[in-house]
Amino acid sequence: MNEALHQLLKNPRIWRGQVQHESSAWQGIASGYPRLDRHLPGGGWPQHALTEILLEQYGTGELKLLMPALARLSQAERENGSASNDREFIDAAKAGWIAWIAPPFEPYPPALLQWGINLSHVLIVRPKEAGETLWAAEQALSSGNCAAVLLWPEILDDAASRRLQLAAEKGQSWAIAFRSLRALSQPSAAALRIKITTGNQGTDLGILKSRGGRPVVIHDYAGS
Amino acid sequence: MPSANKSPTIVRRSSTTPSATQQSLALELPEAKTAVAVECLWLCIHLPALPLEAISQATDDKAWAIFEEQEGIRKVLMANSLAMAAGIVPGFSVNAALALLPTLELEPRDLGCERQALLNLAAWAEQFTSFVSIEAATTLLLELAGSVRLFGGLLALRQRISIELTQQGFTASLAIAPTPLAATWLARIGRRACVRSAANLVGVLSGLPLRCLACPISIYESLQGMGITSIGDCLRLPRQGFVKRFGAHFLLQFDRALGRLPDPRVGFRSPEVFSRDYELNEELSDSQLILNVCMCLLQDLEQFLLQRQLAVQRIVFSFFYLQHPAMHLPLGCMQADRRAERWFELLSIHFEKVQLAAPVISIRLRTGGGQPLVATSGRLPFSKQTKQQHAISIEHLLERLSARIGSESVHGVTTVAEHRPDHAWQSQYLLHNANECLQNTATYETSLPARPLWMLRQPEPLAVREEKPLYQGVLTLTEGPERLETGWWDKAGIARDYFVAVNPKGIRLWIYKNRNRQKGWYLHGIFG
Repeated sequence: MNEALHQLLKNPRIWRGQVQHESSAWQGIASGYPRLDRHLPGGGWPQHALTEILLEQYGTGELKLLMPALARLSQAERENGSASNDREFIDAAKAGWIAWIAPPFEPYPPALLQWGINLSHVLIVRPKEAGETLWAAEQALSSGNCAAVLLWPEILDDAASRRLQLAAEKGQSWAIAFRSLRALSQPSAAALRIKITTGNQGTDLGILKSRGGRPVVIHDYAGS
Repeated sequence: MPSANKSPTIVRRSSTTPSATQQSLALELPEAKTAVAVECLWLCIHLPALPLEAISQATDDKAWAIFEEQEGIRKVLMANSLAMAAGIVPGFSVNAALALLPTLELEPRDLGCERQALLNLAAWAEQFTSFVSIEAATTLLLELAGSVRLFGGLLALRQRISIELTQQGFTASLAIAPTPLAATWLARIGRRACVRSAANLVGVLSGLPLRCLACPISIYESLQGMGITSIGDCLRLPRQGFVKRFGAHFLLQFDRALGRLPDPRVGFRSPEVFSRDYELNEELSDSQLILNVCMCLLQDLEQFLLQRQLAVQRIVFSFFYLQHPAMHLPLGCMQADRRAERWFELLSIHFEKVQLAAPVISIRLRTGGGQPLVATSGRLPFSKQTKQQHAISIEHLLERLSARIGSESVHGVTTVAEHRPDHAWQSQYLLHNANECLQNTATYETSLPARPLWMLRQPEPLAVREEKPLYQGVLTLTEGPERLETGWWDKAGIARDYFVAVNPKGIRLWIYKNRNRQKGWYLHGIFG
């Protein structure tokens, strides 16, 4: 095959029906849930991009979904010295601050510790006005210090999501916005949109939009 | 001692007709052997138009003048070139000047302003030498002997000082001489002299008119009456007679000027604390213009700190109004800094939220004591790890967030060794100890049952139906009870049975049943 064409096909924006992306430039952050990783391009959460998580109400398992990946990111700096294989190096290249911007409840430090989060890299910001949430998120993302920025915006329109996406790219950070299911019909610049629904048979994830991947519903993602 | 031998040679050259009986001023001195031992070169900066220039803010497009009250009459002290061209002469009474030129603008003399301008100049001059002295209200002395090599020669240095003075809008006459008094006399009459050797002093000074002395008018008049019009004439007078007529003090001036007596000066030290006022020409309410002025002040601060290799952690802006009390705006940053842009950025974030009570008439910038600047070395451009370089440091990010949102709303967290769930953690102020926090090794007994990721700030009472707690449906208890009964020693003791419960929607909750007075079920956390 032509070399130029080969290069072009490596671009994650090009969606090819039959093949999974194995290019290392599109390496995701392992989510810790193999069933989810299998459906995400790059085998994990998209790096340096905005992820949107849509849910009916806060507390329906959205943190549990992220915890394994956040724990790895917050510990990343410590692993820096012993980084040996390639995969480790990609994760370890980031300093691991994790910013929580306008969380609806108190993130509980003992529980964070139980999940393996490095508490010395946790930053909590509680803006007083709605507009400041997006501002703070953009600052945290583009500063290049935060491995992940979690935010709970009241409103997030298309333009704002585009700004967050750009800030995430600039600061090489991972933005995660939590939104209500009402936002389903709104357009968004997020690289990944996931809907969480809970039921008696475990938690289901619906991948609504995935850059480089395709929509799919994963039943009971935490199961084996 | 080579310098001690110098004075006789001067004498021979300068005194043209010395008689053996009449010792002239320039001749023998009992103290001649203690003449200037160390080679010094004094540059005198004389600012004849300081009263005008200290006030003037480059308004040369209008005719204006400074007046001063002398014996009850307001007289013109100094006028700018346009006013002079119209015929205004210093010494005119104000009324006469206005009759001549009705459009003339008059300002009272502002001595405080002049003093401040002179102090600023003295601080500026410290970049050229380690010894600056304030000689008079309009005169500065710089000792340059040690700086000549560094600045590429005496004349180059004088050129540079002269140019920078002009750029700052000051008219100055500069003169260089081995003694401070000689330099002052030369500069005072505007002679652009450069005398390097004490041996030439008598020759150069002899030609100066008496008015350079700035002596009392009575002495001046009696000297004139004697037909003495220049320093040279003075030097030929006999010492004893001179002392008798005019006093020993006056005589000593000549000895000091010629370098036969030491003439020490008090050195100027610029203040270690920065405080500068900016008086606005008119009341300002436009925030962009006010910010521009603040930027000027910050640049002054940067210059000030740079000269001392210092950085500051706290600065205070004060905005003065005509009638309201002043508003103070303190700014702090985590890492001491001197860069104007960085402070400006913090200021502009703060300024967005500030409500000005009225138009501002004056702005002041003050700082506390500085601390030594800690420089960090940059990376080499071909360094391997350039990818890791952050756009801004974490401290910088925290400052920005705290500046806009409030420092109490930006915090970290840590755990506390406590069994009560509400007391098992606390928020941690990051702004001043981010680096210490990095070493914070929070621990928690991992053997305890799982804790919820979300905690409610206040436990929420749950409705109960048929003895079962409700939360969007009947709850099913899946784990527990975990009994926590502790804290009786302070007022916040608890006695609770904690359970993990699941509601019909599949949400896992952390609830408890109170065992003391307020019985009932409460929701405390969500597993998220």
